[in-house]
Amino acid sequence: MSLAAEAFVSQISAADPWPENATLYQPLGEDQILLSDCASSLAVQAYLRMCNLPVQVCCRPNAEYMSPSGKVPFVHVGNQVVSELGPIVQFTKAKGHSLSDGLDDIQRAEMKAYMELVNNMLLTAELYIQWCDYNTAAEISRPRYSSPYSWPLNHILAYQKQWEVRRKMTAIGWAGKSLEQVYEDVSQCCQALSQRLGTQPYFFNKQPTELDALVFGHLFTLLTTRLTSDELREKVKSYSNLLAFCRRIEQSYFEDSQAGSSSRGFSKGPSLF
Amino acid sequence: MAAPLELYCWKGAWGLPSVDTDSLIVLAYAKFAGAPVKVHKITNPWRSPTGVLPSLKTTEKNTGSLSKPSNIIIHLRKQKYNADYDLSAKEGADTLAFVSLLEEKLLPALIYTLWVDSKNYVDVTRRWYAENIPFPLNFLLPNRIHTQQLDRLRLVRGDPTLEPGEQLEKELYYDALECMTLLSQRLGSQKFFFGDSPSSLDAYVFGHLSPLLKIKLPNGKLQQHLNSLDNLRQYCSNILVLYFPSEDREPTSHNVSVHSESSDFDNEPHKRRNQILSVLFALGSMLGYAILTGIVSIQRVPQAAIAGPQHTESRGEEDEDE
Repeated sequence: MSLAAEAFVSQISAADPWPENATLYQPLGEDQILLSDCASSLAVQAYLRMCNLPVQVCCRPNAEYMSPSGKVPFVHVGNQVVSELGPIVQFTKAKGHSLSDGLDDIQRAEMKAYMELVNNMLLTAELYIQWCDYNTAAEISRPRYSSPYSWPLNHILAYQKQWEVRRKMTAIGWAGKSLEQVYEDVSQCCQALSQRLGTQPYFFNKQPTELDALVFGHLFTLLTTRLTSDELREKVKSYSNLLAFCRRIEQSYFEDSQAGSSSRGFSKGPSLF
Repeated sequence: MAAPLELYCWKGAWGLPSVDTDSLIVLAYAKFAGAPVKVHKITNPWRSPTGVLPSLKTTEKNTGSLSKPSNIIIHLRKQKYNADYDLSAKEGADTLAFVSLLEEKLLPALIYTLWVDSKNYVDVTRRWYAENIPFPLNFLLPNRIHTQQLDRLRLVRGDPTLEPGEQLEKELYYDALECMTLLSQRLGSQKFFFGDSPSSLDAYVFGHLSPLLKIKLPNGKLQQHLNSLDNLRQYCSNILVLYFPSEDREPTSHNVSVHSESSDFDNEPHKRRNQILSVLFALGSMLGYAILTGIVSIQRVPQAAIAGPQHTESRGEEDEDE
């Protein structure tokens, strides 16, 4: 898309209000979705709820192939399709919904930096555990990832995905890490987040931002997902302020609305309580 | 006290202590922390203990040699050379966050602008590496690094069919410009990111920004943006003047001066010409010996070879006449 066309589209989208029938697509919640996708999807849901924008969650086995960037989740709003949290945040901003307007320049720089910290360490660690740890890949990731497909496509797609992630790990220098080192990285990242959060209710003052949505998505998923070992969950649990932070967001953005409209196809999975 | 640590890294040019981001990070950190490392500035990665540059040769047996900047910094920290000693826990967390920001947003664009953008790669990057890496690796390594870096971009962006082009450049540069602006805002009017003394974050920022500042590239969109951010530009020049004074005095012209610190045998003049001439001479003498002693006879070959082509040629002419 050329720059002029892009500017035109963003003008159109700015003019349209957020429609009632906006849809978020993700892989099948019960049988298919994996840790990393579940975390990203939950982060987007939390962000949209914080913005007070209604969205219907729709599970499709081929969500990954429907997405314009090949990554889930993506939202379908009016006649536009946007994938991943970063672009979705920009998209809602063009429509006049933003959570980070109250921040000054330095705070905004720090917010972006911490968002990259989560992407760089937590997301990469989730991918590593899913696809590079032998037990998790064999017992959980490959069977779940390929569950909608029949033989022999299930094996082909699962191994193809695994191979791709492993090459990515090699390219960014994670291939030589052991599982213990990856757990150590997760711990380090949680330590940093915990330090930054301190005793505040949200990362920046009293109002949530997209950083809060992203951190909530990842930590909540790590806390509630059953893996081959509990070590990861225990690592996150040892930071009490992060645990309280997850509970706070769950209570204020997910529980009351769930009671009000339980027919919405909401798919957050198990709760912390 | 044990023997000093030995650090192998890419040699410098364009007024930089090293041309490579990772090497710059490690060099800057060692300076900031005051670690007494013996620096070998080389241009042949195969001469380093790990086969890649930078590389730190440690004295402990079970650690061996390290090559990732983060591992090297952790090792130096364990040896009590800690530039982050005065930082609070929150500042330590900020360091981790901003290093992630650099790696996710600025590094892909930096790789793109140096190794993938065809004009920059052919005119500057490949030229420098080909001129400086010793024969015969200079024919091999630049292209190999180019392919590796392109692969890396493809994998990081998750698109295996990614082709270098306008669309990709626009996306990468958008992120990178935003990242530089954020860094500039965070730095403000401070001397370093956390007050008056440099920390590991400063080493990372310096390693990523100073190549953009100093290397003259034909396609310099990133550089233009960096030059417009006065405080960041000033910050990088300050670090260069304060911590690498010997590099700063070097001429920043295009033709790379012969570096005195690099190993001696790389600097022999006409080295490659002599090598090619000696190979040609050896081949010629062997061939001459073979012909003179009758091991190879060239008597019969011409007859058979000439008869064939003549025949077909005459046919070709006939066809044309018709």
